[in-house]
Amino acid sequence: MGAQFDITAVFEYFVKLLPFIKISLLIVAGSIVVGLGVGFLVALPRLYRIPVLQRISQVYASFFRGTPILIQLFLFYYGLPELLKTVHIDVSRVPVLYFVILTYGLHSAAYISEGIRAAVTTVDRGQIEAGYAVGMTGFQAFTRIVFPQALAVAIPILGNLIIATLKDTSLAFTLGVMELTAKSQSLGQLSRHFIESYIALAAIYFILSFLLEKVFFALERRLLRHESRSETAERVSLGKKWLKRRLETKVAWTKGGTGI
Amino acid sequence: MIKLSRISKSFGRNEVLKGIDLTVEKGEVVAILGPSGSGKTTLLRCINYLEKPSDGEISIAEFTVNCRKPAKKDIHTLRQKTAMVFQQYNLFRHKTALENVMEGLVVVKKLTKEEARKLSAELLEKVGLGTKLDAYPSQLSGGQQQRVGIARALALNPEVILFDEPTSALDPELVGEVLAVIRKIAKEGITMIIVTHEMGFAQDVANHVVFMDGGVIVEEGSPKVIFQSPKEERTKQFLARITPESAYSI
Repeated sequence: MGAQFDITAVFEYFVKLLPFIKISLLIVAGSIVVGLGVGFLVALPRLYRIPVLQRISQVYASFFRGTPILIQLFLFYYGLPELLKTVHIDVSRVPVLYFVILTYGLHSAAYISEGIRAAVTTVDRGQIEAGYAVGMTGFQAFTRIVFPQALAVAIPILGNLIIATLKDTSLAFTLGVMELTAKSQSLGQLSRHFIESYIALAAIYFILSFLLEKVFFALERRLLRHESRSETAERVSLGKKWLKRRLETKVAWTKGGTGI
Repeated sequence: MIKLSRISKSFGRNEVLKGIDLTVEKGEVVAILGPSGSGKTTLLRCINYLEKPSDGEISIAEFTVNCRKPAKKDIHTLRQKTAMVFQQYNLFRHKTALENVMEGLVVVKKLTKEEARKLSAELLEKVGLGTKLDAYPSQLSGGQQQRVGIARALALNPEVILFDEPTSALDPELVGEVLAVIRKIAKEGITMIIVTHEMGFAQDVANHVVFMDGGVIVEEGSPKVIFQSPKEERTKQFLARITPESAYSI
């Protein structure tokens, strides 16, 4: 059993955990960068329906979405070095953090590729045709017409994914990475104030997630400003704002286009 | 001058266009009529290669594309000589009315932003939207959106503007404002090809009417000839069915 509950310990641990936020955020940032790059590559064959690659993309996405992130961490950390040994590449000196970022990156790439695919297909074909009709090349139509609009659709998806990844980083402690969760465990073990350290830990995750959510919501509103019908609706109470958010998405989905 | 020769197009086994020949003189306003499924929209979309013809030749202002083996560059050039107004407007939804018109000028015609803005504002003024420059498509009515679409097409100063049923998606009360704008620019001598169901409008504005059915041109000529003394039986049937309201007895 732990020591008696002590509320001051919560604050103490909260402060002690703060420096470790940057390790967790580093994992998130690194994995999203990897995820965006790989995710885009994985999405392309499915967007352009390239025969064999399309199939591989599907298998990739199914694998990473269909197996637990914890197992993926183990597979990559323990399995990959063995695999590389057979081709005479020694990765035993590579810091564990790289494996963690790689795994989370490939994991989020599966979700990002699905997000990109969904976002691109929401931009209706008619606008692309209009782009061609004014004389744009395929590349110009993609970068100037499809991409900005797809981005606005993808932002909430990406926001959810980043928040999910942040929480998933708590599993990196299983490989011995000194991030938030690992630190909070060691704090608890030292003083036997387990509950207090976990409360502090939960508070930190919550605050980070909350801030990220706010940032992405603001970003989404900014990118979707072309779909808002009235300027005056901006000035409403917080509760109504939330209601309006749902309404706005509805407007964005049903307005215009070729009636798909 | 626009010359289409032996344009054919199949979707799988379904032959939609069966070797269409059509010549359009400079400054002519051509109305293409016909029942749905007759291939008129497909023909229009073939002219700027939004639809890929299976065979034939498209020639616009001395520039010829052989549809058997078109080069990517040729298709691009062909599209720069044409502009299109769509049934569903197809405005760029993340851009304002002004930006929609500017887009082609800046990206394709490489005008400076200042020049493009000035020209675009003038054109929007011309279609009666001088006060809506900064409105997004979602803030405009269908008729207003279509007028932006027309301004966007005009801005490119093309050899021909292709209209694909420009009023079919509009509320009946908004049709008038769009037709008025098309009528206005028709008077300026811009070559136009219009696929439409508005018979009165076609009769009034066009100086060359084409009647299509089953993937072929059944009959063509001046509106006077086509509407008042059509030769082909199929044309007579079609016109009889859609023109006079008195023909219906309920």
